[in-house]
Amino acid sequence: MKSTYKFLIGGIIILVVLVALSIQGLQEMTVFFHTPEEILQDTEAFERKTIRIGALVQSGSVDWDSKNLLLSFNITEDSKHFIPVVYEGVKPDMFREGQGVVVEGKMKGDTFYAHQLLVKHSEEYKLDPEAHKDKKDYYKTLDQS
Amino acid sequence: MARWIKILEPLSILSLIGCGIWIFYGTPIESEMGFVQKIMYLHVPSVIVTYTAFFVVFAFSIAYLWKRDIMFDQVAKSSAEIGEVFCALVLITGAIWGKPTWGTYWVWDARLTTTLLLFLIFAGYFLLRSFTKERERAARLAAVLGIIGFLDIPIIHKSVEWWRTLHQPTTLFKVEATGEAKPAMPMELLLPLLVTMGAMLIFYFYLLLLRIQTEKQYHTLQELIANNEGG
Repeated sequence: MKSTYKFLIGGIIILVVLVALSIQGLQEMTVFFHTPEEILQDTEAFERKTIRIGALVQSGSVDWDSKNLLLSFNITEDSKHFIPVVYEGVKPDMFREGQGVVVEGKMKGDTFYAHQLLVKHSEEYKLDPEAHKDKKDYYKTLDQS
Repeated sequence: MARWIKILEPLSILSLIGCGIWIFYGTPIESEMGFVQKIMYLHVPSVIVTYTAFFVVFAFSIAYLWKRDIMFDQVAKSSAEIGEVFCALVLITGAIWGKPTWGTYWVWDARLTTTLLLFLIFAGYFLLRSFTKERERAARLAAVLGIIGFLDIPIIHKSVEWWRTLHQPTTLFKVEATGEAKPAMPMELLLPLLVTMGAMLIFYFYLLLLRIQTEKQYHTLQELIANNEGG
């Protein structure tokens, strides 16, 4: 009976420590991206470092040069702090104005040069009421749409 | 138990086939993502089955440590195996979904990392079992790891709120600005999702009972062999 209690108490202590450590470790590790505000407050600290910034694409700021595959736009989180982003590569299908994006790259001067552009998906699922007049529209595949 | 298996077998097969037809021929196309969004009907129910399976591991591991009845361990072990398969399915379908929507199969954000951690913890769970020869000892150690492993699930669930992630926050349990919880999904998409979740849970319970049955038969066989050798 005594050894059962020892095992139980020991187990609980190990468990609590493990959970506390992992939560603390995760918290330090999981700043997956910075906000434009954080970058602009301390530009020197982020210069020359590969970083990720997460923010929304400013409406009306998108310029897509499809010949040279050059995409430029401004990102902002609070409509006060803006960072211009230049990305060389194919424009993602889901890329839209006002959309959340995570860009990975480096700050050079005032501009952020991204080598990776990830598009966030909103948690809201939507339906286009115009798109489903015919029941057949329900099973349209990718190449048809 | 054999009777329940007989009932659940045709029920789960028919309901899964029915859901498949409904998903591809009876549900509207989501306007942002298009056809790709259909993978949600496999990804999200797999998450629910993973959570349920590992919760069963958690509950029966506690029961085993408390009562030391090998029957509880058989249930925990069976459920862990199914949970691990569905956890792999969550990671795979998530990667397939991630490529066309996010632009990447994988990122090390908190949601994805903690989910991979869950998969690895239970991979360790099976390693621990196979490395421990003595039945009682294996059951005891596995129960402790099963309980710890389950604690990752609330962390996975809350990860999108606690940390900055690429993965979007919860849709099903979304809390509006008014404080009212309401799924951020139109009924035409939500209803087939909920029904598919139900069908997948039926499938889970079918697999669980089937697995427990074989585990028990294996246990009986081992006892017979041991008795035979002894006599």
